Amino acid sequence: MIAAAVESLSAASTSGVLLDLSAVVMLLCAFAALGSKLFDRYVAYYALQSIVLAFAAAVVGHALGQVDLWVLAVATLLIKGIAIPVATRRFLLDRLDLRRDVAVSTGLSTSLILGAFLTAFAYLAIRPSTLPHALVASAVVPLSTAIILLGGLCMVVRRHTIAQLIGWLILENGVFLGAITLTATFPFIVEAGIFLDLVAAVLIMITFVSGLAERLATAAAPELRELRH
Amino acid sequence: LTALVVLVAALPLLGALAPLALLRARGLGIAIAAGGLGALAAAVAVTVHVERHGPIRALAGFLYVDSLGSFFSLTIAVVVTLAGVGSVAYLRAEEERGGLTPLQLRLYAIFFACFAGLMLASLETGNLGLLWVLIEASTLASAVLVGLEAKASSLEAAWKYIIISSFGVTMALVATLFLYYAASPLALSPNQRLTWPALFTHATLLQHDSLRLAFLLAVIGYGTKVGLAPMHTWLPDAHSEAPSPASAMLSAALLNTGMYAIVRFQAIAIPELGRYTNHVLLVFGFASILIGALFMVRRGNFKRLFAYSSVEHMGIISVALGFGGVLGVYGALLHTLNHAIGKCVLFLTSGELVQRWRTRESSGIVGALTTAPLVGGVLLLGSLAILGSPPFGLFLSEFTIVRAGFRGSSLLAFLLLALLVLAFIAFARSTAAMATGEPEQLEGEASGRQSVVAAVPLVAGMAALLLLGLWIPGGLNSLIMHSIGTIR
Repeated sequence: MIAAAVESLSAASTSGVLLDLSAVVMLLCAFAALGSKLFDRYVAYYALQSIVLAFAAAVVGHALGQVDLWVLAVATLLIKGIAIPVATRRFLLDRLDLRRDVAVSTGLSTSLILGAFLTAFAYLAIRPSTLPHALVASAVVPLSTAIILLGGLCMVVRRHTIAQLIGWLILENGVFLGAITLTATFPFIVEAGIFLDLVAAVLIMITFVSGLAERLATAAAPELRELRH
Repeated sequence: LTALVVLVAALPLLGALAPLALLRARGLGIAIAAGGLGALAAAVAVTVHVERHGPIRALAGFLYVDSLGSFFSLTIAVVVTLAGVGSVAYLRAEEERGGLTPLQLRLYAIFFACFAGLMLASLETGNLGLLWVLIEASTLASAVLVGLEAKASSLEAAWKYIIISSFGVTMALVATLFLYYAASPLALSPNQRLTWPALFTHATLLQHDSLRLAFLLAVIGYGTKVGLAPMHTWLPDAHSEAPSPASAMLSAALLNTGMYAIVRFQAIAIPELGRYTNHVLLVFGFASILIGALFMVRRGNFKRLFAYSSVEHMGIISVALGFGGVLGVYGALLHTLNHAIGKCVLFLTSGELVQRWRTRESSGIVGALTTAPLVGGVLLLGSLAILGSPPFGLFLSEFTIVRAGFRGSSLLAFLLLALLVLAFIAFARSTAAMATGEPEQLEGEASGRQSVVAAVPLVAGMAALLLLGLWIPGGLNSLIMHSIGTIR
């Protein structure tokens, strides 16, 4: 049954094409977030990316006939697509009145070029040929690797705590995309646990950021120099 | 029996229930300490059972305790107990001084308890995915402890801690995915493909490339938690800003939990990758010892000094795993236990020093031995112990590790010795100056009398270290040997 299901996910099938397409849209969202300077754009691109991720999970769930993945798709949509963006907007952006992110260490074009290099690297490092034939829609694995790297890049070139938070969330979306395609049958308890951790992490991070912002008036990481030697 | 194993992780949660009963600081502290003590008793019972009847497994491998797991949970339970008793004194002092609000006291109890429970739980699962979930959850619980005092500096440390650790631990998740993927050639159910006994017995059948990627990412990911250089940057900040009993838990328990995950991944990777795993661990280990020793040269905040010493010791354990062989792993495990006790005592001592002198700068403290004989004495002896001088336990374990090194390449063993000497000089320079010398006149409050509760974990810990330096009990010896048996 698994073999047949895997067959239906190969690159030529409809679900395979849909999966590839969602992965590409997710990569574009990551690039868009990397190339933006407005806080609410970051959040919007993250929300869009999460909604596409939920769609991708549903596609895989449909193709493989896995009920768990449907559950995860709904949870992704509700939590990552709606709850986290709304919470970030309400508790951080509105309350702290944040608009433009000025704490970037490299120019936008430089970071976009770096992002392009990282994407190329992801394709070189994970060639579809190294993956077993027809196991997954083969473009997705390098794409999700690229999203992971772009999320990391966001965390590195952006110094504001909120931008770092969004960078981490993008990275996490990349991991999740890789997880549902590479290992569609990952045990459900574990995936649910990963989800719970994510929610708790975001809650705690939001608390810290607003606490920091209250005390420092600015929560940009370069201003955090208390602990420098 | 399953219930007993569950108790190990559930008993520390007593501390999380205490705030519901609207207890004051004293009651909260006692609940935490009682939870730790109960967990220790349960861990001993589980260990005895595992030693007699072999691994305990239940719930499709989600619950799995073998000798290695019970050795680590015993170590962590000792630390939780010591830090729990230390918390009694800490909470009371903070309440009297008004340093923490009642809400903060309760938050401390809740998250301390969750932190302890989650760490113990992570050592009792055979499912590497669940292991990841529990380790990440314990990171989150401890991040709240780091930021508890809610000053700008502690929130900053907490932010740095949570963002770097989350990044690192996400890498460990990718490692877990690749391991799962590497197991796809095996005819196993999805659950079994992440479960320790199944993976370990079929380790030679795993797909080579994915496994290599999984191992490397696991060392980097969990290595971030362990504090291996160059992923250690969160560690000094978090350790110096957390309340001292929480620092003790971070340094002596959390780092070891990360190391436990690395040990498991290495055991799975060795049959297929061979010496490659050892080389990776040697590189990260030596980098950590070097970075730790170099940063200790600087005199300043003594909690940061202790934190860099943790980086150094985690490096030593990693090097010991890198040397490999029975002797190397034996040294690594023994060193884990010794370092856990020693560092726990030192951080609790630092808490006492901070509460008396109201400073974290080592230059601000002179003549601790005269002003507060017990704390000063433990500071001096504890420093000697952590630096590996005889007759304390760490001497024995470091000696074992160096011996394991000489079995392989004597060049590396000499390098290790040289770095240990450097660390000794750097560390002792600061702490010796704090303990000895002519004390300045302090206001009446600072030279207050020694609280008995605070002294208990210090004395108990030092006694245990001394005992382990003179004599390794037969039970402990066979436990370590069996632990080595489970991963070879």
